[in-house]
Amino acid sequence: MVVKHETKTMTGNDAASYAALYAKPEVIAAYPITPQTTIVENLSRYVDEGKLDAEFIIVESEHSALAACMGAAWSGVRTFTATSSQGLLYMAENVFWTGYGRLPIIMPVVNRCLAPGWNIWPDFQDSMAFRDAGWIQMYTKNNQEVFDTTLQAFKISESKDIALPSMPCLDGFIISHTSGQVQLPTPEDAYEFIGPYSDPIIEIDVDNPWAFGAMTGPEQYSKNRKDLIVAMERAKKKIVSVHKEFEERFGRSYGNGLVEPYGDDVADLTIVSLGTIGDETHEAVDRLNEEGLNVNALRVRTFRPFPEEDIVEFAKENHKLLVIDRSASFGHAGQLGIEVEAVLKRNKVDTPVIGIIRGLGGEDVPYTKIMDDAKESLKG
Amino acid sequence: MPVTQKDLMKTPKKALLKGHFACAGCGSALAFRHAIGSIADEVILVVPASCASVYQGSGKGVAFNVPTVNTAFAASDAVASGISRAMKKKGKSNLKVVVWGGDGSAADIGIATEIGACDRQENILHVMYSNNVYGNTGGQRSGDTMIGARTTTTPEGNTTPRKMVPFIMMANNARYVATASAAYLEDFVGKFKKALSLDGFKFIQIDISCPPNWRCESAHSVKISRLGVQTGIWPLFEWDRMTNNVVLSTPSKKYEVVENRVPITEWTSLQGRFRGITEEEIKALKTDTERQWNFIRKFL
Repeated sequence: MVVKHETKTMTGNDAASYAALYAKPEVIAAYPITPQTTIVENLSRYVDEGKLDAEFIIVESEHSALAACMGAAWSGVRTFTATSSQGLLYMAENVFWTGYGRLPIIMPVVNRCLAPGWNIWPDFQDSMAFRDAGWIQMYTKNNQEVFDTTLQAFKISESKDIALPSMPCLDGFIISHTSGQVQLPTPEDAYEFIGPYSDPIIEIDVDNPWAFGAMTGPEQYSKNRKDLIVAMERAKKKIVSVHKEFEERFGRSYGNGLVEPYGDDVADLTIVSLGTIGDETHEAVDRLNEEGLNVNALRVRTFRPFPEEDIVEFAKENHKLLVIDRSASFGHAGQLGIEVEAVLKRNKVDTPVIGIIRGLGGEDVPYTKIMDDAKESLKG
Repeated sequence: MPVTQKDLMKTPKKALLKGHFACAGCGSALAFRHAIGSIADEVILVVPASCASVYQGSGKGVAFNVPTVNTAFAASDAVASGISRAMKKKGKSNLKVVVWGGDGSAADIGIATEIGACDRQENILHVMYSNNVYGNTGGQRSGDTMIGARTTTTPEGNTTPRKMVPFIMMANNARYVATASAAYLEDFVGKFKKALSLDGFKFIQIDISCPPNWRCESAHSVKISRLGVQTGIWPLFEWDRMTNNVVLSTPSKKYEVVENRVPITEWTSLQGRFRGITEEEIKALKTDTERQWNFIRKFL
């Protein structure tokens, strides 16, 4: 079934805002930070104009933005916030509290590098710092995917068998402030897809009091964290099934929801990346192919949970991987590169992996640059 | 309606069950039992890192008999804001959202969050139970520590005056601000219920004794709190934004007059935290006490 669409030109932040509008969160709390700000502004406008019947909490910090969403999530209502960069870092303890607390909060992160020095351009250092916080992380390649992923995130996170917060990630400015065409379903169809949050994962109840987060001994604590590990495993299947359901309903897909391959099934070199670099890579692959070089690509859409099986299967069939990271784990390497190498090793796949770091602090990563990197990698 | 001793005994249900972890003589647990008890069937509790996160007990034996959400140190007033808004959205505005935390969160690390919620006029009540020290971590100086107090981070005595959080909340447009003492529970519960009858952000700071950190006899817990009022160290008052007037509470009225006050040394001598306090420190403490009274007098 492919439903009615309307095509609109909008920025990536607008696309995230539309997804939130259509999901009808009951409590929104947010604090402005470039390049996320226009999401906050859009949502305030929707609420003020009466388009969205939500409580909008104009908080005094990001720490409070997420804290307010946590309070609302404990109360059993759908919640939404968004942030970037320093704002995400300022939330830090609550980011972990939300993940470990299994609260299904949806929070797009408009990726921006971290100070010093002041720089508002994109890299993934901000969200990568929270890869271990118990959140689902999905990196998007364009405005359409921002809308689609944010909408899907509600359905994934709010499932009782998942109960994990979601962080759809979008490159600052490259997506957030760049206009592009986005196919929007009708608000009714979009809402019907995710459904109301009528059977909450957790809900404060004065008639049946419980204490959340009281002192917890090592045995129960470790059990809770192990539950989270298992929930992340389940989330992989959920992401695939929700993505498939979305595809059937709206006619769009991104690989299997976890990874998106591009080009031939088998190549001498596979370019692996996240976010908009993944999109730019398509251009590089086409041109390299035209030059007679055998190159394909794999965009990792879902970074948490990490799509181990899909990456391993892809790597098995291919001859060499070039992993481009837009962030660094200082003292080691790019995070995606580290993890790709780890899963190959764990699965005894000996496809060579070359890791490079590109695009920090908004450094341009055009297809020409990717082509050069690919050619260099093919040599070695 | 003034609350009587008899009223204190009548609660919809017990708020604090057996098996809590509060220290012997803990003024906070005493205040909790009566205040939270008075609305135990319609309250949602938000607890920052504080003694209350410990004395509520653990695991399946949690002793707080009301819904309780534990939050990070600086997060409580924002979490409470989210709960309050969500309950409004669900048509359950009748439920009272109360932050129950110590002076570390209310005077220091969480004060920005608290002022934020106050500024937004969130419909919550923040009760700051005040032992003038980071009690949970073993007794370090907080912004609420008074002059002369020996803490583990001011072993030679604290030199700076305490941060007067009630005045900060008045300046930030709270709906209602009050001070209270665990020695005058009728007065406290009266203020607590009055605060909850009002819409907007309400704040009460209650002086509670802390035998381990004050190094005092558990049996002296209430006595020391009473002396806190009688020495004038801790003036009890209410302030309402609608009138912008301070009303001195009955137990404190007499002690506005300096001559009526019990000597401060009667209060300090019962507490090990003031052992070795010098004449100069006592003088500075008296001067600072008068500074606080002078602030209050501007609103009388």
